[in-house]
Amino acid sequence: MSSLKFNDVTLKFGGITALNNVSFEVKPKTLYAIIGPNGAGKTSIFNCISGIYRPTEGSVHYGDSDIKDLRPDQVANLGIARTFQNIELFENMTVLDNILIGAHRHLNYGPISSLFFSNKTRKSELEARKIAEDIIDFLEIEQFRYSYIMSLPYGVQKRVEIGRALAMDPDLILLDEPAAGMNNEETEDIARFIIDIHEEMKKTVILVDHDMNMVMDIAEEVMVLNFGEKLAEGKPEEIVKDSKVIEAYLGVSEL
Amino acid sequence: MRGRPNLYTDYRKESAVLPNLTQKFWFVVLLFFAFSLCLIASDYWILLLTTSFLIAVAAWGLNIVSGFAGQISLAHGVFVGIGTYTASVLGGVATTYVIGYELDMIIWLPLSGLSAALIGLLIAPISVRLKGLNLGLVTLALVFIGSHLFSNLKFITGGAGLGRKAAKLVLFGFDFDEGLVIGNLILEKNQLTYILALFVCVLAGLGVKNLTRSKTGRAYSAIRDGDIAAEAIGINLFKFKSSAFALSSFYAGITGALMFSVSGGVEPGTFNLIYSVTFIAIVIIGGGGTVLGPLFGALFFSLMPGAIQTAMHSFGFLGQDLALSLGQIERVIFGLFIILFLIFEPRGLWGIWFRLRNYFKAWPFSY
Repeated sequence: MSSLKFNDVTLKFGGITALNNVSFEVKPKTLYAIIGPNGAGKTSIFNCISGIYRPTEGSVHYGDSDIKDLRPDQVANLGIARTFQNIELFENMTVLDNILIGAHRHLNYGPISSLFFSNKTRKSELEARKIAEDIIDFLEIEQFRYSYIMSLPYGVQKRVEIGRALAMDPDLILLDEPAAGMNNEETEDIARFIIDIHEEMKKTVILVDHDMNMVMDIAEEVMVLNFGEKLAEGKPEEIVKDSKVIEAYLGVSEL
Repeated sequence: MRGRPNLYTDYRKESAVLPNLTQKFWFVVLLFFAFSLCLIASDYWILLLTTSFLIAVAAWGLNIVSGFAGQISLAHGVFVGIGTYTASVLGGVATTYVIGYELDMIIWLPLSGLSAALIGLLIAPISVRLKGLNLGLVTLALVFIGSHLFSNLKFITGGAGLGRKAAKLVLFGFDFDEGLVIGNLILEKNQLTYILALFVCVLAGLGVKNLTRSKTGRAYSAIRDGDIAAEAIGINLFKFKSSAFALSSFYAGITGALMFSVSGGVEPGTFNLIYSVTFIAIVIIGGGGTVLGPLFGALFFSLMPGAIQTAMHSFGFLGQDLALSLGQIERVIFGLFIILFLIFEPRGLWGIWFRLRNYFKAWPFSY
């Protein structure tokens, strides 16, 4: 288990500054939430961690290693899993295959071995299948096991995406708006899964979401972003009282 | 073992090639039938079936890279060509103007697959950089380079318009031309090549099925459906696109090595753009991204000339003066089918098979 550190990260696209000198640290086994209005740079932080964007300045450390210049697959193989804001599941595959593919980095055999389905392949496939079943069981999606993703409702797809990230058996899991577009009941389910992932599976979770009630209920630490700048950081109960946060989120009356 | 064919009691059964008894039974019946066809069918149909089995192998190859991994390749015919000429040089007879070493099939068959795979690996770095149509255009360049080399490397190919003899079918010192006598049964060259093609085809099909039920096949499909998400899961795009191109070209090389040994000779003009596009059409008609689709497509493509001829013969059209020649009629019908399939059944022949099977599974109920 390692901690994730952002040191003065700046991300620019041409003239637009998506992130401006953002620094924070996520200690192992915390449930860390990042909130902020639309376009504040929350997803950009995730993309900088997972190697999809490369920060213009600053550094991103995971444990002792600098992960700023790594490719997404190298980051993933360090044990950092993520979900996407707009579900990025593999549509033409079944739920089971989507979850199995999460276990990709734990299966150690090559294409030739696949072609002949050697004993090694069979053995690791059976092990992966067992792990996949545990995840299906955990997320309560048993009845969709053999369904194709495109035929599933949105809420289930969100769960499958969490399942795929869990199958990677990561140390750090990045959840990008897991409760977006969900009704209260579904949001409660998701919140319960996140708490279980954090407390029972003992994983570090970084959560981005708009649902204030959920974030304030479950997060241990919260960072608030606005226009690419860090506004505040601290315990949820401190954050709700912070005047700058209230200003950014609710606006202030001009008296 | 009656009752619930879809109830799996262990994970091993769930991922088996033939998960239940019914499927095992029909597979054996079908294999037996296919085998016995070489004894009862006429020479003409045996030749058509042999070609279709071999074309199926190449179509499977294209299906790996385009159907599963989602990378457009317009150069599949070139890889077939590379396989053909590797086999021809290693297994063919030398003449005054072409080289040939008359080696055994056990040497030239795997090597022709491997040589095609090596060239396939060269495209891989490009495919990591380019996507979709742009990648298609780069592979198009390979078709022109290939055509040029095939026409001009006269000591290998015999040159444009002339061609050369393909590899000799000699397996472990046994010459297919001599025929095989087992008791009262006499197997001639065409029957032996049919059996060989059937064997290679079944093996190739098993390979594809194995890919789909393992990590590699899943990684290919993941790259097709969303390469950013695939990368974020830990799939090395370069590694897996490379292996997809290599495997695909290997399949093409095997087909090339055998196909022209069956017909005897090969002319370099064969491996033009149309030849490559034909494989794409076969995969589309059969059903891309499925295991059985390319086999259906290959059977359809190769058996259609025979079916048209038989039909015309029975209607008394054959021998009359028609506006189009037989070959032209075939091409028109094939083109028509591509259009019809794209509009009405994008999943191809496999889609029709899928719906038929489900209909009979549920019979007498409608769902």
